[in-house]
Order: sequence, then C-alpha cells, then structure tokens
Amino acid sequence: MITSASLSFAIALLLAQSAFAGEVQGTLSSRLDFYPDHADGTASEGRSAEVKIDVFHDLDESRVVGEFIARGDEKDSGRRITEARQAYFRTPLAGFDVFVGNRQEFWGKAESKNVVDVINQSDAAANEGKSDKLGAPSISAERYLGIGDLQLWYISSFREKTFNDSEAHPSSGLPVSSAQYARKEGKDADDFAARLSSFVGDWDLAGSVFYGTARDPILSVASGGRALNPYYALQKSIGLEAQYTGDVTLLKWESLHGTQSSLLGAHDFAAAVAGIEYTFYGPFETMWDIGLIVEIQHDDRPQAAANQFGVAGVRLVFNDIADSNILFLASADRKADQSVVSLEASRRISDVTSVKLTSQFYNARTTTSTFGQLSDDDAVTLTLNMFF
Amino acid sequence: MKLAAASMFVAVASACLATAAFASPEKGLEIAIEADSRDKGFGDSTAQITMILMDKYGQSTERAIRNRTFEGDNEGDKSLVIFDSPGDVRGTAFLSHTKKADSDDQWLYLPALKRVKRIASSNKAGPFMGSEFSYEDIASQEVEKYTYNYLRDEKLNGLDCFVIEYDPVDPKSGYKRQIVWMDTTEYRVHKIDFYDRKDALLKTLNYENYNQYLGKFWRSNRLVMINHQTGKKTELVFADWKLQTGMTERDFEKSALKRTR
Repeated sequence: MITSASLSFAIALLLAQSAFAGEVQGTLSSRLDFYPDHADGTASEGRSAEVKIDVFHDLDESRVVGEFIARGDEKDSGRRITEARQAYFRTPLAGFDVFVGNRQEFWGKAESKNVVDVINQSDAAANEGKSDKLGAPSISAERYLGIGDLQLWYISSFREKTFNDSEAHPSSGLPVSSAQYARKEGKDADDFAARLSSFVGDWDLAGSVFYGTARDPILSVASGGRALNPYYALQKSIGLEAQYTGDVTLLKWESLHGTQSSLLGAHDFAAAVAGIEYTFYGPFETMWDIGLIVEIQHDDRPQAAANQFGVAGVRLVFNDIADSNILFLASADRKADQSVVSLEASRRISDVTSVKLTSQFYNARTTTSTFGQLSDDDAVTLTLNMFF
Repeated sequence: MKLAAASMFVAVASACLATAAFASPEKGLEIAIEADSRDKGFGDSTAQITMILMDKYGQSTERAIRNRTFEGDNEGDKSLVIFDSPGDVRGTAFLSHTKKADSDDQWLYLPALKRVKRIASSNKAGPFMGSEFSYEDIASQEVEKYTYNYLRDEKLNGLDCFVIEYDPVDPKSGYKRQIVWMDTTEYRVHKIDFYDRKDALLKTLNYENYNQYLGKFWRSNRLVMINHQTGKKTELVFADWKLQTGMTERDFEKSALKRTR
C-alpha cells in the first residue's frame, strides 16, 4: 500500500531541485460559468481558477514526473481541489518500464464516451465529467513485446469521484453523502488491470482486463430524500478496442463486458460504443477539415443515464495559425426522452494564451430521469489559459 | 518573310527535339536513387527547429519544435515531432511511420488527456501547424513516392544543378508536380517549385546553409517556403543537428509517444 500523500511529497522534493533546469512548466486557467436556466437557490454564475504545474527531472535512465493541480472556486467546494494528478518515478527494471506513484492513463478509441477507460477516477466536478482525472496511486509496468505493448497495473487505493455542491452545477440538487462500497476494504481495496495494445496495418487493437472497484458509483436517494448515496460496486470486466483508419473514414469500437457485484447481487453487464468519423479535407477550396461523427452508445449498468444513446456531431478544424477548432455533439436516448447538446470551441490568442468556450444544454421529458435532474444545469463556460 | 517563317519553324522544331533528347524519366530516376543512396547510413538524427510563420503583411509568430528521425531499412523512415511552444500545444507529439508505397501510419499524442490517437494520413495536403508546409512536405521523401523526369542542367546561385520534375504517385497529394533543383556534385536539393492540382505555381521552397555531418551527410539549416498564391511565408531554422545518436526503433513505437518530453 502506497501512502499517496507521502509519496507525492517525496516526489515533490525530488522535483524541487529541477526547478532551475527549465523542466518546470505552468498553466494558469481562469474560468467563468454562466447557468442561464438555473433553478431558484442555485448559482447563476461561477468563477474559478486553476494552477497546473508540470515538472520532470531525469536521473540517468530514470525519470521523475509531476503534474500538480490547485483549483479554487468562488462558490462550489466540490470543484476545489489540490491534487497530484501525476507524481511518479519511472525506471527500467527487468525489461519493463516500471512506474511508481500517481499516474494518469488513457484507454479507448471513441469520441463521445470511453467505456474501457478504467484506470483513473474522473474529476467529474472539474469539467462536466469530461476529461479531467484524478491520479491513480499505483505501481505499473510497461513492456514492448513485439506483438504489442503490454501494461500491468496494481492500483493501491481507490479515489472517489468528485461531485459538485448541491447548489452548484451540474448537480441533482441533493448533497452527496459519504460513499459505501461493495468491497469490505472500502477505499483500501486493491485494483488490478492489464492491457495489450497493438496495430496491424490500418487496424489499432487492444484488449484489457480489470478487477477492482467500479469507477462510477450507483447513486440512490437516501436520508428520506435529502441526500444522494454513492455506492461503489465490485467490477470484473474485459475491455476490447478497435479502430480502423482509412483514407477519410475512421471506424471505432470499444466495449466492456463483465459482472458488477452490488447489494443487489452480481449482475452481468455490457457497455459499448461504436462509431464512425468521416472527414472532408480542404472542402470548398479552404484549408479546413470538416469531420462528421456518428456514435452509438450502449450501457446496461444502473449508473448509465439511459441504456442507449445516439450521438451525432461535427468537428471543424480551421488549420489556421491560431489553431481554431469547433466540436459540436448532440446525444439523445432511443426514445428521445433525454438529450444533451454540447459545443466546444477553442483558439490560440498568443504564444502564451488560449481561450476556450464550452456549453452544454440538457433536455428531458421527465424530471425523474438523469437529464431531467440536470435540466437547470445548462452551462456556458469561458476559459482563459495562460502558459508559463 | 517566308524565309523568316521557315527559320522560325526550324528553330522551334530543333528546340522540341532538344527537349525530347534531354528530358529523360530514366535519368530523373537515376538521379533520385543516387541522391537517396548518398544519404543512406545516417542511422538516426535529431534537431531543434524554430518555425517562423509570416503573413503577407510581414507579421510573424514563432513555434519551437524538436525533430527525431530513424532511418528505415526495408520500409521508409520513422519520425517524431515534438512541440515545445506555443503553450497550448506544448508536449503534443506527432509520430509518422513512412511507407514506401502505402499511406503512412500516423499517431498524435495529446498530453492533457495522455491520449495516443491514430490519425488518417490522407490529409497530406493539409497545412502542418497552420504553416505553409503541408504534411507531405515534412514527411520523409522516399524514392517510390514519385515518378521522375530529368529536364535539363541549369545554374542556380552559381551551382551546377540538375532540374528534375517529380510527379507524386499518390492521387491525394496536393501537387500535380514539383520542379526540383539539385546540385550535380553533392546531390543536395536547393530549390523546389510546387505546382498545385490545377498546375498553377503554388509554393517555392529554398534550402539554405547546408552543413556536412560525419564527413558525409548534408543537412540544410534553413528552409524558406513561400506561398505565391497567399503571400504567406514559413521559415524552418534548424539548430543542433545530431546524427547517429544511438536511438533505437523502440524510440519510434507508438508507446514511445507518451514519454517524449
């Protein structure tokens, strides 16, 4: 069992000596949120700021890497965090690259949802659950085997998903109570995972296994309707990933099959995303790339907002000096009872600044559905990033 | 008058004959193979690159990138490009496995997500980082990617040069043809005129400040690309060229993208 805090501190000390060697980089992000549909008693706007420090230092064949976050938020305590998203020591050992400490890793191929991306917990409160992650306290090893890359993971303690405050957005409006676990060791239970990834010609393929605590909790209303109770099940699963890269067409598949053990017993589940992305390069005599994205999501776990979602979107890349791009995605469940529309646009302002505009608009026919509870959480967010 | 017309006819006819006599696909291919073989054995190379993008009003912006190349044996070269600035793309890395005949295999590493993404290589005519260089301009040049036609000998900046037409084999290339000036002693490229699909002159690339490394391999330290149709210009200034550094093929696998910093 790694004591995450003490390890992070040791790594921070190791890294401190590199502070003068040009191995330190920082990002300062300030962010404004507007909630045009907010319910009475909830925030109409929000302000937050985040500092991210990236640092590394080489010691012969080994490397120490740190990615530290401090985020403040005017109103939403759920978004406040100090976090060693990465703080690890990497060294070659017995033909493997061995990593010890907090690490972030991405698995998956799809655009709208990554069901096989099981290593890290989501820092969901930070950014609508999109891409921010919490570091996984772990020992991991990687090796190139000729047929592909093998990863072995031991994750020594569990990180709980972050939630926004009940008056903040997005939120069901109920405070989230302390977590309960299917595994008796609770947060201290160990997780294990392995993945083999490879490519053959136009195909990128990967297979993975996972035994551990499910990252997404099952949420139930507790305390006589005054709180949400997160319950973390035990998950045993197999993940499969494939991407075909054609001239202008990408075909994507990822799926997760397994069992989830909770208070209700052990249940088999399947979650999958299948997608196609078709890109027009330089249409209409422009330098633009226009990508059309269609994905179908299936997830029969109780954590999912609905069993099936269809997603359609457009990615517009302007290929200009400012790297301007826009991503528009619309998702709806099969009966169109719930839907969400999101837009992301970003561009560089100067060598050291960039700006990003994101927005989400939720729609639901019933207030009891997941998106129904998020109906006052429509958001427009403006983020200014400064790099130093 | 008749005499003038007749002598004009003779002059035109002999000019056509002269072109027919000297323009030679065989000689073009021979020169391309010789140029390629003279660069064989560099093993691997690294360089720091400053990319200077200038608009038609002379406003400029800079990017810092690092380049690593691994010489291919049976297949084409493998190359890794790492972005150091501007800040928003810092740490992004681009890996390309060049193929002699097929489309190249390409991956992009996105540091914020720690995600390695396979990307389609058919956007070869698209601009690289918003510059006047397209993906195919920065890709490793393999003999098999063009057919050739030697046109003539010509002096360029006092150097005796072959002038050769390169016709891209791939229909997805942004070019109908390229006219290449290569010196006759060291087989170094000094200038390329790029013609777009409509056969209009699109861009000119000049190679400057050649240095020789390990007593054999020539590398240019300044590439200037001018787009005649937009008036924009991109310069690549190379520093710290190193060859045969001892990198291995392992450093150019897709898993290596995650540890490029």
